[in-house]
Amino acid sequence: MIGIHEIRKHYDGTAALDGFSLEVKPGELLGLVGPNGAGKTTLIRILATLTRPDAGQATIGGHDVTHEPAAVRAMTGYMPDVPGVYQDLTLEEFLIFFAEAFHLRGAKKRAAVEHALSWSGLGERRKAYVEQLSLGLKQRLVLARTLLHEPKVLLLDEPATGLDPLARIELREQLRSLNGEGVTILVSSHILSDLEDICSRVAFIATGKNVFGEGGTLELKGAEKRTAVSCEIEVLGNVEGVPAALASFGDARLVESKLNVFRVEVGGGPQRAADMLRYLVTNGVTVLRFDPRGPDLEDHYRSLFGSKTP
Amino acid sequence: MNPMIGKELRQRMRERRGWLLPTLYLVALGAVVIFFYYFEVTIRRPWDARGLQGSEIGGALFLVLTYAQLSILLLLAPVFSAGSITIEKEQRTLTGLLTSLLTPLEIWWGKFFASSLFLVLLLVSSLPVLSLVFAFGGIGPLQIVLATLTTLFVLATVSSIGLYCSAYFRRSVHATAVTYAAIIVITALSAITFAILMSQWERQRQVRTELRAAQGAPTTTEAATGPITPPLWVRAPLYVNPYFLVTLSFGTAEDWANDGVPSAAVFLVLFLLSFTFAVRQLRRSGEQT
Repeated sequence: MIGIHEIRKHYDGTAALDGFSLEVKPGELLGLVGPNGAGKTTLIRILATLTRPDAGQATIGGHDVTHEPAAVRAMTGYMPDVPGVYQDLTLEEFLIFFAEAFHLRGAKKRAAVEHALSWSGLGERRKAYVEQLSLGLKQRLVLARTLLHEPKVLLLDEPATGLDPLARIELREQLRSLNGEGVTILVSSHILSDLEDICSRVAFIATGKNVFGEGGTLELKGAEKRTAVSCEIEVLGNVEGVPAALASFGDARLVESKLNVFRVEVGGGPQRAADMLRYLVTNGVTVLRFDPRGPDLEDHYRSLFGSKTP
Repeated sequence: MNPMIGKELRQRMRERRGWLLPTLYLVALGAVVIFFYYFEVTIRRPWDARGLQGSEIGGALFLVLTYAQLSILLLLAPVFSAGSITIEKEQRTLTGLLTSLLTPLEIWWGKFFASSLFLVLLLVSSLPVLSLVFAFGGIGPLQIVLATLTTLFVLATVSSIGLYCSAYFRRSVHATAVTYAAIIVITALSAITFAILMSQWERQRQVRTELRAAQGAPTTTEAATGPITPPLWVRAPLYVNPYFLVTLSFGTAEDWANDGVPSAAVFLVLFLLSFTFAVRQLRRSGEQT
């Protein structure tokens, strides 16, 4: 549904996107993750036809975003990181304006506005001015606005920014339900737990490149596919010998250490994690706590981009 | 109908300036009428007040009112046009417009129509004040209509320049400042340039006359001193001057043909250029938002 091939974009000689490639299948909910300045917003803006790429090709539903922007806009809903609203319009006027901007007229327009109001739960406040809404409700209104023309693809740039936990939960539910209706969603976010909860795959971007190589992504759904196990090990007494003991155990990789707590990634699944525990104990390490679990998105992020939190 | 127009008008009329500006504008024009009448009858020509022809007052009042109206509207036009696209950038709503099915032309037209319509509202609301000149005579309805249409044409050009600045700059304050600078160029600077060229031309004429007098040749004929009306290179700066064009609109047909048409053409070119560049800029403004 979304095809991105070797996209490049430079700003004042600096590469925002440097040959990024990705494929998003129809009906998929794919997350886009990367540090600040990695190129996430630029990529989404190119797909939303706001920014022209310097090179490469991006298509949505088979339409080239550079050469067929109107066709792309007709099937795409875009929500920017800071969604703008007209404070001095009522909610109903705001939605009517955008319905007309998407060429909806007459009964179709009325139905779209009613659906957007009821979908967002803002129907009772239709006559209220937009300025009276909280940030969370404004986000919800803008998301409702992007759905007016029933887009097949949603491009969401940091949609959860500034939302309180309850609003984030609601947003996750809304995205899940839209995805369930067959809408393809590409969402960038710094809130990794949210992405992990709703996305089937995640693409990592750094310095404008796909971290996993051309079109590469990380599968999130399906624990059976996970082979690496992340373990948190708290030891008692002498900690100096722990890194050496881990190094001598074949599949273990020390990710992080803080005082007497070690975060270790073990390849080969839970059985190898149990083997590692046995190995450490046999080699004289006093293990106070051993907490094995599959690596979450945060672990992947940590291993890819260092210990910096997103 | 273009959805931009409905939205723009709704937003404009909800602002406080939606009713405040027309009120202040009419109060200002009313004050001009009162002051002019008082000045003309009591201060300037008190000895002649009884024998003063009504048509003289009517003609002069019409001129003063037309210039006052044009001056106020030239000050107001950038307020409506220069901030209209930049405000969308500042409020971050332009991305919503650019990713909808609205074309840059539709966005421009909606903005232009709404800002021009407010100026039309002001112009129409001032018609009763302008019609006061009928009480004195000397001015017909046709002259009022021509002056109003020419003023509207000038304001449309200024609005178009304002919209270009609004599409080009990110901040309303910059767009408004540059639009005012453009207005200063076409009003004050063009008049100053004309005055300089005129004095230069008159000096040349005087030197020529003095030379002929020294040679004993006749100095009173047009053949001797050159043409009485300034040549094109002297008049040209006035072609971008709004006051000049409006003055010509109620002048003679010959004046209109000689100077009015070229001046109107200059304004038309300015309008079309700023329109073209504004639409082009809007196409690219996705990069700016």
